[in-house]
Amino acid sequence: MKKKILLIIPAYNEEDNILKTYQDIIDYNKKNKTNYDCIVINDGSKDDTGKILDKYKIPHIDLIHNLGIGGAVQTGYKYAHLHNYDIAVQYDGDGQHDINYVKTIIEPLLDGKQDFVIGSRFVGNINTFQTTKLRKVGIRILSFFIKISCGFRLRDTTSGFRACNKKIIEEFAYEYPVEYPEPITTVELVKKNYKILEVGVNMKERLAGKSSIHTWKDVYYMINVCLSILIVGMRRYK
Amino acid sequence: MSKSLILTILIFAIVLFLSIFYLLRKGRIPVKYALVWLFCVLLILLVSIIPNLMVHLANLLGFELLSNMVLSLFIAILLFLTLVLTVMIAGQKKKTTLLIQEISILKAEVDEVKHEKTK
Repeated sequence: MKKKILLIIPAYNEEDNILKTYQDIIDYNKKNKTNYDCIVINDGSKDDTGKILDKYKIPHIDLIHNLGIGGAVQTGYKYAHLHNYDIAVQYDGDGQHDINYVKTIIEPLLDGKQDFVIGSRFVGNINTFQTTKLRKVGIRILSFFIKISCGFRLRDTTSGFRACNKKIIEEFAYEYPVEYPEPITTVELVKKNYKILEVGVNMKERLAGKSSIHTWKDVYYMINVCLSILIVGMRRYK
Repeated sequence: MSKSLILTILIFAIVLFLSIFYLLRKGRIPVKYALVWLFCVLLILLVSIIPNLMVHLANLLGFELLSNMVLSLFIAILLFLTLVLTVMIAGQKKKTTLLIQEISILKAEVDEVKHEKTK
């Protein structure tokens, strides 16, 4: 039986990128005879993202109020759960993620070998993505904290390019961390004994617009994330 | 403890009590929460009515002045209340998030059904 696959695309003020992102998915589906569905979660954008979504009939959910990345992505998982999808892929609406690698990250899920796959910039030599030294250090620190809190060696801690199976969709639909969802969910899933794999993918530079991470907030962000990781690491799961 | 201090505390307790009473009667706060505050009033009244007991207690706990103990006690109560409020806010936020998500999904589904009907 063919698996139902959904791309969850959170979008906040992405009027410049969202149409291209959608078009890429449609083109890819036509070319490769895949049928990836997608759902854009418009997180209360203040620009014309909503109008574009309506105009080009892109499947979407308009959040009636801004929730932030965690709340937006969870809405996608709820939708996936509601519509009985087998696999959900988190896919950024800003053009950072490459549609050609969706296949790579869902592959390990298809035969049930893995439960959760994270697309990583730091595995293999596929990546052309350049990042600043400081950010690399930040990612290393997070990686270290994740390692001591749950024992899993995660290289690309902030990657938002992830795929999960039905069981985790249900889990996420029910409960999803609002703050720093990427590292936190990884720790939670490891603690719940899910099988997690990191695979190498290529990520592009952002097409346009601003990323949601600002330098001046980074130190505060780091302290917060590290603490959150440690606390989640201390929680007990059945 | 001086007479005037006792009077001040007494007046404060009465004002606090009347405020709570007013809010309760107007239905602005549920009894559940008002109870904590009424308990505070009781505590304050106790301090003003039997200052001697309080002086003893202050000595026992190592406070040099009764007023110091009273102040510390209030601060402790307020800190605790703030903590409780933080927990409550977090709970509220979770509920709002849930509502926003569910309503938004519902709206999207309704729109889709409407769209199919007009086709």
